[in-house]
Amino acid sequence: MPEKIILTLLGLFLVVGALTVVIARRPATNAIGFLAVLLAVAGLFALLNQSFLFLAQILVSVGAVVVLTLIVILTVNLKEEQFPKERFKGVWIVGASVLTAPFGWLLYKTLVSVANAFPKTQKGFGSAEAVGKSLFTDWVLPFEILSLLLLAAMVGAIIIGKKEQAYDIES
Amino acid sequence: MTLQTTQLLGWILLLPFTGALVLGLLHLTFPRTRRLDTFYAALGVAGPVVAAALGLKVLYAVASGADVTFRQTLFTWLSVGDLKIGLTLSADALGAVMLFIVTFVGSVIHIYAVGYMRGEKSFGKFFAYFNFFLGSMLLLVLADNPIVMFIGWELVGLASYLLIGWYYEDPANVKAANKAFILNRIGDFGFISGLGLLFALVGEGGFSFADIAAHIGSVDPAMTALVGLLLFVGAMGKSAQIPLYVWLPDAMAGPTPVSALIHAATMVTAGVYMVARFSFLYESVPDVGLFIASIGAASALLAALFACYQSDIKKILAYSTMSQLGYMFIAVGLGGYSAGIFHLFTHAFFKALLFMGAGAVIIALHHEQNIFKMGGLKEKMGLVTATMLVATLAISGIPPFAGFFSKDAILAHAFASGHTFIWAVGVATAYLTAYYMFRLFFVVFVAPPREKAEPAPLDRTVTWPLVVLAVGSAVAGFFGLPEAYGGQNWFAGFLHLPDRALHLGSGEEFLLDMLNLLVASAGIYVAYRLFARSPREAHDAAAWQTMLRHTLYVDEIYEALFVRPLRGLSRLLDRVVDNRIIDGIIGLTVGGYRVASAGFALLQNGSVRWYALYFMAGLCGLSLYILQNIGGE
Amino acid sequence: MTLNPESFLALATLLFGIGAVGVMSRRNIFVVYMSIELMLNAVNIVLATFSRLHPDMGGSVIALLIIGVIAAEAALFLAMIVQLYRKKRTVDSDAFTDLAQRRLS
Repeated sequence: MPEKIILTLLGLFLVVGALTVVIARRPATNAIGFLAVLLAVAGLFALLNQSFLFLAQILVSVGAVVVLTLIVILTVNLKEEQFPKERFKGVWIVGASVLTAPFGWLLYKTLVSVANAFPKTQKGFGSAEAVGKSLFTDWVLPFEILSLLLLAAMVGAIIIGKKEQAYDIES
Repeated sequence: MTLQTTQLLGWILLLPFTGALVLGLLHLTFPRTRRLDTFYAALGVAGPVVAAALGLKVLYAVASGADVTFRQTLFTWLSVGDLKIGLTLSADALGAVMLFIVTFVGSVIHIYAVGYMRGEKSFGKFFAYFNFFLGSMLLLVLADNPIVMFIGWELVGLASYLLIGWYYEDPANVKAANKAFILNRIGDFGFISGLGLLFALVGEGGFSFADIAAHIGSVDPAMTALVGLLLFVGAMGKSAQIPLYVWLPDAMAGPTPVSALIHAATMVTAGVYMVARFSFLYESVPDVGLFIASIGAASALLAALFACYQSDIKKILAYSTMSQLGYMFIAVGLGGYSAGIFHLFTHAFFKALLFMGAGAVIIALHHEQNIFKMGGLKEKMGLVTATMLVATLAISGIPPFAGFFSKDAILAHAFASGHTFIWAVGVATAYLTAYYMFRLFFVVFVAPPREKAEPAPLDRTVTWPLVVLAVGSAVAGFFGLPEAYGGQNWFAGFLHLPDRALHLGSGEEFLLDMLNLLVASAGIYVAYRLFARSPREAHDAAAWQTMLRHTLYVDEIYEALFVRPLRGLSRLLDRVVDNRIIDGIIGLTVGGYRVASAGFALLQNGSVRWYALYFMAGLCGLSLYILQNIGGE
Repeated sequence: MTLNPESFLALATLLFGIGAVGVMSRRNIFVVYMSIELMLNAVNIVLATFSRLHPDMGGSVIALLIIGVIAAEAALFLAMIVQLYRKKRTVDSDAFTDLAQRRLS
């Protein structure tokens, strides 16, 4: 039963991280929780034999996204008094949870209704080779479009992030 | 001439309408220029004159054959199942006679209008309207079924409205035009109700006059009587009979050629024509005919009384027209259709002539219409005086002028039919007619002038039509020379309408004529004594005379009985129902929406997380619903 | 194998729900951004799970593409946060209410 223990640990890790993101007050703390969640998701990928996804998650999400987020948080460098005054945070969280619960329940029921037991893994499932083959045969068009998207995002990020005198959005 | 006579009918109809269209378009294109006036006049007169020539040909063709009817279907207008209502024209003897009257008198009056309207602005528009009227009247006359007749009936009403309100700068004239139009609508309501009922009764077998005549025998006589009454209501409006006559005196607000053509010679006689057209129907319901004759007699007497106390030259003639129309209705009501149409025929000549003479006097005296301000015109306007004398003698029933024969035919028919009271009223009216017409004649032409007015010279286009019509007034009566004078009453034989056969000995008829002549002479003598030397407008008169001068206050009574309550009702609807109730409901709705939208606007606070919350609330509801009702397994 | 897919799916649903709650209830734009990322990751878990369920690599490939989208979104969103902070010197999402309608006309 080692997988079950690992799954339980990963689940705990994931939920605690997610709650930290939502509840904690300081952005740096949120970012730590965020990192925990991403790592836990990577672990879940590993448990699902998705070795290539595991690698990609570690590299991109943890390596790039979290680092970028932390850099921005540090750049903005909010003082304590600059944090938004959230006086009814608890009420909001509880209320939103109540509203979300039925949808979550429905979502879970729907997902489970089409799921059965995991089959035996074939050799090479989830490896870079298998993913790569599928990616460059069946999914080559979305892949190319994604490259365009990334280019557009890069250009957009540069333009949005520039100083205002060059591209003033308001004028 | 290669044209078939049958095809002529279409051309006759087309000519005035084309003229109206071309003139109207030209006038709209060049509304201000005066240089086109001569062209307008030529074009406006050409259509009616050519139509008159063609009409004469049709009349000749009808007269030369025995009992022929020319019929031409231009196109099928309505086609519902087996029922086909075509725009069909037909000319039988009656139609051909009317066609001749309308086109001939119409042409003469068109020529007269060239001179009368010279210098008026919108010259082209006038002839466009005038041609349009002539075309509409021809459509009415030539119609082969009541539907097409009704179209013409309505179109002449429209033309009449447009021309009465010709001097629209004066609000009184616009009011007169509206009055004529509205009163005619009341009549038309009766007319179209009658047509609808008639269609419901006999419409299955086709709806041309011939078809109706063939099927009318199988209809319940009570229903036939109702149809006849309803149709006569239309005639009351169009031909200015009691109680719908009040528009005719006011209609004199239009230019004099309009009064001559529309309100004397042609349009107002449409009611008589219609009754004669439906003679096959009225023949079977003599009670309705008696009612028509009574209305006609009452109108004739009342209008003659009114005419005796008027001082406006055109109003005298207007009441005179109404009076003469009353004669015609006496005739057609008592079954003397030929006599009625014969009087219509002669009346068209002398009444048009009277109006045109009056118009000549009016323009010569620079639009003076009060006869007591005229006087002594016989030296200065010899030709007009002579022609007016002919017309006045004709309308008074002095032989050998036209009116004598036609009026005699009507009175003889009334006497022979046994309705002595109606006959007596007719004789009394004849006396009054002679009296008021010669009152007019003596005051205007013979009596010494009150004011030194120098008549303006008259255009030749004004005077020559007078001569033409004077000749017509003088000789038209001989077409219907009765048998008592050695004639054969050619006119009645030609029309071959279903006249009620009445036998009156030559001696009796001769005596009746002598009585009429005596009565007319008495009227002339009284008028001569009262007005030839020193005419005065009696102001200090007895109460009944004052009432007659004010035409028995009929206008005021109508105002109090119908106009005021309607106006009050309209005001109530406007102020209370519309403003308070309907606007209130709308206001409440608007207010409700405004309050609701203000509430919803509060939701739009601009904060995106709130929007996400609404979104999730919706999803929550949806999910609960799905979990509850669908995903229950 | 003793693992069952229900636990994975439950975790994914939980993660998605927590992300949604975060988006709605927090005013700090950083937290909003991270909550959105959480929801995207929840989707990724589901995709990976189903890819494993029917042995088909398509699901994994889509998950991979989504990781690419996450990267692009991160770049853009963080650039926007910086820009918004420059405008109003705050990261409070309730300060940016330009979508609101101001007054009844």
